[in-house]
Amino acid sequence: MSLIHIQNLNKHFKVLNRREGIGGAFRDLFSGSYRTVKAVDDISFDIEAGEIVGYIGPNGAGKSTTIKMMTGILKPSGGTLQVNGLMPYNNRIKQAQIMGVVFGQRTQLWWDLPVIESFKILREIYKVDQKMFDRHMGMFDELVGLKTLYSQQVRTLSLGQRMLCDIAASFLHNPQVVFLDEPTIGLDISVKAKIRSLIKTLNAERNTTIILTTHDLGDVEALCQRIIIIDKGKILYDGDIKRVTALFGAYRTLKLQIDNYADSTLQSLQEKLTEHFGADNGCTIAQTEEFWTDVTFDQARTPLSDVLGQVMANFRVSDVRIVEISMESVVQQVYDGALR
Amino acid sequence: MKSYLALLRGSYMVGLVYRYGFLFNIAGNVLYMSVTYFLWRSIYQGRETLNGLTFDQTYIYVALGSAVFILLKTYVDWQLSFDIREGMIATYLIKPIDLQLYILFTSLGYCLMSLSAITIPTFLLLIFVFHIEIPLGVGLLIFPFSLVLAYLLSFCFDYFVGLLCFYTESIWGLSITKDIIVTVLSGALIPLQFFPDVIQNVLMWLPFQAIYYTPLTMVAQPTLGWETFLPMLGVQLFWVIALFGLTRLFYDQAIKVLRISGG
Repeated sequence: MSLIHIQNLNKHFKVLNRREGIGGAFRDLFSGSYRTVKAVDDISFDIEAGEIVGYIGPNGAGKSTTIKMMTGILKPSGGTLQVNGLMPYNNRIKQAQIMGVVFGQRTQLWWDLPVIESFKILREIYKVDQKMFDRHMGMFDELVGLKTLYSQQVRTLSLGQRMLCDIAASFLHNPQVVFLDEPTIGLDISVKAKIRSLIKTLNAERNTTIILTTHDLGDVEALCQRIIIIDKGKILYDGDIKRVTALFGAYRTLKLQIDNYADSTLQSLQEKLTEHFGADNGCTIAQTEEFWTDVTFDQARTPLSDVLGQVMANFRVSDVRIVEISMESVVQQVYDGALR
Repeated sequence: MKSYLALLRGSYMVGLVYRYGFLFNIAGNVLYMSVTYFLWRSIYQGRETLNGLTFDQTYIYVALGSAVFILLKTYVDWQLSFDIREGMIATYLIKPIDLQLYILFTSLGYCLMSLSAITIPTFLLLIFVFHIEIPLGVGLLIFPFSLVLAYLLSFCFDYFVGLLCFYTESIWGLSITKDIIVTVLSGALIPLQFFPDVIQNVLMWLPFQAIYYTPLTMVAQPTLGWETFLPMLGVQLFWVIALFGLTRLFYDQAIKVLRISGG
């Protein structure tokens, strides 16, 4: 049997329809008008022990709501949800013992106390014996140099240090499954790399199942074999990461600042690209912000050097940026049938 | 149990981190006690007793009341509503512990801080600076037990108002209202003997008097004897059990409407 079993899971919220302005706020006091928001809408999947699964989607897709149901914080509106054979919400205290959770936006460490004290409190809460505690603390020290932070107050840690501590803390009681909700949010590249290797090592050494939600496609690429894409509460894709990386790996967006930009510039750019690469060239052109023209193209069909060459040959360009495809565009591509 | 004691230890340490807070708390309390001393001195001018209480009895009651007030103010309602609004409640719910006990033991840590920093110094001030004689009697023996029960009662009220935040998303008004009701009806501000008889009779049937009036009377009039104090303790115990039960039932309802904001 799989470690996590989800079938036709729903979570609906009743939300008050709020009106604008002060007058609206007054009328809201007596309003009985609600609408139902389907945060999670009929999803199903199974996760096996030892997997690292990337659970991704744009803001408000329902990722965190799913995690909060799996951790027993929220009660599902309908459907089946079992972790290790039990329904988390009805067995919260028992289930919490086999789970670890990191919410990237908030810490579970004691804000005013030195780091080591939080670990000591967690040791008592999760009833971790001294031997296991010492072994794990030794390992965390080896992996991220935790010892140097022991005596530092949590509130004085940098965001990256705090996140490393939070992740280590979530593994302290050797849980079967760890939920990482946006563990790299707001961090710079080098700390991200550290966190990724920490997660990878912990997964490999303990065979801990890890469910990772993130905005950063780099995290998913570095860690996961399997990816679940969710948007507007529904699952869009569930499968091998390779098909998705092939998708967003090949696409790039070329951002151009074209001199003497006029309304006709987009049109003529389109014409030049069609002239050179043919009508079905897979390039899309848009102006997303002032002064910047975006050309999104598929590297497999039109190599970067060719696209850039065409642009440079025909326009005076004062600035160029190349960016990876964003989470939103990936979701859009999946909607448009890129994975079918 | 050990895990809850770890929480208590943790919050006690947090209290110690802000060490200058101590000094200001003590200074504030000394100021308050001085003001009330002169206030009640002038009220008692030329009178031996008022509503059956001597000056010393009233002053012990009022001064100790202010110290106990700080001790019994758990701020659990504010903490809980903050945690619910900010979504921090999620970090408690992922731990294998009972929410009510988690919050109780965390707040107990702060309470022990106030005990060592405020209540005990207040006792010493009363005796050595204002030369108030605290008469010895059985009441003093029962006082600590009564104080623990009073704390649990005060906790239940604060916890209940905090849980309301699940529904209302803000408890500012509710919390202020609760504070006023508890302060007036519990005898925290003035002894209940100063109320008209009819109101006194009504108040005795409510849980509020068990928070302040009961423990404070044990120190202000400790010679009243076992036959007076044991029933009072029994009433306190009754309310603790009743309110703990009720808040637990209420929690089971309230948690169902939980929505975690942000993230």
